[in-house]
Amino acid sequence: MIVRILTEGQYNLPGAYIDQLNEIDNKIVVVVEQKDKVNFHKLLEEMFSLVRKYGTEVPIDELVESDLVLPEPDITLQEAGEMFTGEGLVPD
Amino acid sequence: MGMVSRMSTIVKSKINRVLDNAEDPRETLEYSYEKQREMLQNVKRGVVEMVTAKRRLELQARKAESNIAKLDSQARQALEAGREDLARLALERKQATISELQGLGDQISALELEQEKLTHAEQRLQAKVQAFRTQKEVIKAQYSAAQAQVRIGSALSGISEEMGDVTMAVERAQTKTDNLQAKAGAIDELVATGVLDDPTGGDPLDNQLKQLSASSTVESELAQLKGQVGSGEDYKSLPGGKS
Repeated sequence: MIVRILTEGQYNLPGAYIDQLNEIDNKIVVVVEQKDKVNFHKLLEEMFSLVRKYGTEVPIDELVESDLVLPEPDITLQEAGEMFTGEGLVPD
Repeated sequence: MGMVSRMSTIVKSKINRVLDNAEDPRETLEYSYEKQREMLQNVKRGVVEMVTAKRRLELQARKAESNIAKLDSQARQALEAGREDLARLALERKQATISELQGLGDQISALELEQEKLTHAEQRLQAKVQAFRTQKEVIKAQYSAAQAQVRIGSALSGISEEMGDVTMAVERAQTKTDNLQAKAGAIDELVATGVLDDPTGGDPLDNQLKQLSASSTVESELAQLKGQVGSGEDYKSLPGGKS
């Protein structure tokens, strides 16, 4: 599965890790709702390191569409919250 | 998926669906390639803008540094002239300028980080555009219009997503730069009008603590200056003879 980390690049992540990724993602939704900054960043880090650790980087000159897109690593809790309220990621 | 699926949707919505409305798909390739090159120019410009913004901040920092030295000698002069009130004022401004300088330092490193990221994005896009160009030539040379349609689909969606990502990275970097510049511009004005007493504008308690430590620094510096000025100096008659 091709996973993109925004502003970082694409990784080829074996399908076996998708469940784990999904699990973290669901937890993130909860902490964003609770505005729990500490756990938000903890879970994000968990998510990114999963992809970086078990995925292999897609060569820089390869053109392939991603199956999943993860946010940029420096996304803030507020930005994530706006994403869910439909404000979009366009900063004001 | 929660956040991830939303993110995917957002990025895909940034993708230009140029493929749908072209008569000959091979024209689409050329059109897209043109767009890619424009985008690459945009990113390069973004990097240049960032460098300019950083230079401006660096200039400001140098100015602040020289102001600090100036205020220091002004305090000394004021005390030599027996004007403790003016000396205190100068030292207060010096403290404010010192904290401004610290703020500038932080902003400069924040910009450096953004610049690095954008440069990285530029390199990535450059490589992708190069790869696209190669594929484009292969497709144009070897395939009929109908066959090309299929081939083009995958190349295009790959590059379009990359462009979506880079677009977001550029927007993000620009917003950050604009914010930093606005902040720096505001500081500039305050310094110019000489009313810089709250460079952080942040938490009131934090400000009070800072003021406290700044004023104690001012007092101790004043005492130190007095010692230096007092020793080995004869009393001078005060110009104007007042106070």
